[in-house]
Amino acid sequence: MAKPAVILIGADKGGVGKTTVARTLLDYFGAHQTSVRAFDTESPRGTLKRFHPDITEVVDVTTVPDQMKIFDTLGSAEAKVTVIDVRAGLLSSTLQALTDIGFIDSAKKGQITFAVFHILGPSIASLQEIAETADVVGDASYFLVKNFINNTTFFEWDPATYNSYFKKIRGAMEIAIPKLNEMACEQVEVASVPFVNFIGNKNGKGEPANYSFVLRGYVRHWLGNVWNEYDRVKLIDLVAPKQEGNVRQAAG
Amino acid sequence: MSLRSSAIIVASPRPRVGKTLLARLLIDYQLHNERQVAGFDLNGVNTSLAQFLPDYVTAADIGSITGQMALFDRLVADDGIAKVVDVGHETLEAFVTVAGEIGFAEEARRHGVAPAVLYMMTPDMTSVEAYKAMRKRLPQAMLVPVQNMMLGATQYHDKYPVPVASAVPVRLPVLSPALRKFADRPPFSFAASPSEVPLDRHLELSHWVRRIFVEFREMELQLLLADLQSSIQLQS
Repeated sequence: MAKPAVILIGADKGGVGKTTVARTLLDYFGAHQTSVRAFDTESPRGTLKRFHPDITEVVDVTTVPDQMKIFDTLGSAEAKVTVIDVRAGLLSSTLQALTDIGFIDSAKKGQITFAVFHILGPSIASLQEIAETADVVGDASYFLVKNFINNTTFFEWDPATYNSYFKKIRGAMEIAIPKLNEMACEQVEVASVPFVNFIGNKNGKGEPANYSFVLRGYVRHWLGNVWNEYDRVKLIDLVAPKQEGNVRQAAG
Repeated sequence: MSLRSSAIIVASPRPRVGKTLLARLLIDYQLHNERQVAGFDLNGVNTSLAQFLPDYVTAADIGSITGQMALFDRLVADDGIAKVVDVGHETLEAFVTVAGEIGFAEEARRHGVAPAVLYMMTPDMTSVEAYKAMRKRLPQAMLVPVQNMMLGATQYHDKYPVPVASAVPVRLPVLSPALRKFADRPPFSFAASPSEVPLDRHLELSHWVRRIFVEFREMELQLLLADLQSSIQLQS
């Protein structure tokens, strides 16, 4: 049986685009025909669930019953990949909880594929977050995500300082999420559908919709670039080594 | 395919090469054939196409996202209305960038709308290079070079290769100065019988218009043939 994979998406600051990245990942795995489920830890109301209601469950990751719901079902769940959108400020504590329950050890032993998407904010404080999480993640695949979707600039960062933090995590890779046109971004929000549905001009039920072709075009172009980043870091090989497929066709 | 369901882009990176005249003629050609047509003027503040045919032309803008939506969402709509876009030389780069990024030509074809670019040939390298780039950036659009005989009879065909071997450039015949003084004064439609043209010049104007309309008819046939060939290739 294939090894389950867990992807943790987090940041210690809100508004840096965790849920947006989670949505691109769910679309990406869907396009690769890789079964995926998601947990939205913005309990009681989850933003991720609004976009992907069929595969997302809202949980409170700080409670034991919900931790059981996620981690005790890794082996038995139909979905091969589990994506967890961690609420702002809970990344470090979630990682600590994973250490406590022995999850990190299981990942070290190779029983579980574990990846962390650490969404960086533009402030210096984000660099400190890297140091805090570096000690906990162990051998997880660690992706530092610079999210430019909202025109974020990382001007505060001195490259030397950033690199010194970057090197604290062995094998860490950087992913850049490009900027998406604001109106296109807003319209997908209003539509409350996955990006691929918006591109395909379909509503949440898969029925024909009437979104602007221009905005769909911008989203398609942007999502293609995001997926190129995932291809570059060989994400699909990491979570589902035997899967092959043409992502772009699914996006189109 | 016919120009009934088409989105024709008139383009050149050079000013004053006859783009607006060609766009006017394309609109008038549709009207002459009793087809519905919508023109879009992408010439910034100098919207002369809109001045010549105010009932059929809208001033467009692709500097803003709302302007892009107003233009491209209509261009790809399969509403039976032929679309003609006069792209100003200063707007061409932005137009091609946006069109390429959002997949304009692919989406148009998906909706049964034939995208075509009528490109004004001039001998300068800027224009030749932009033509080459256009072929790469909008590969799904049919690229048709246009020779404006008013710029001289020199042939540049070797610099402007066409994607289909049988295709030939559209020729825009010389319009005499005597007629230009009427035709250059907006509003003016070649499809109607302009009352401001004296009777003795009417025949000359009709003859000239007929020549260019024959060129457009030839072009329609070329586009139709190219579309059939690509359909056959896809099926085989």
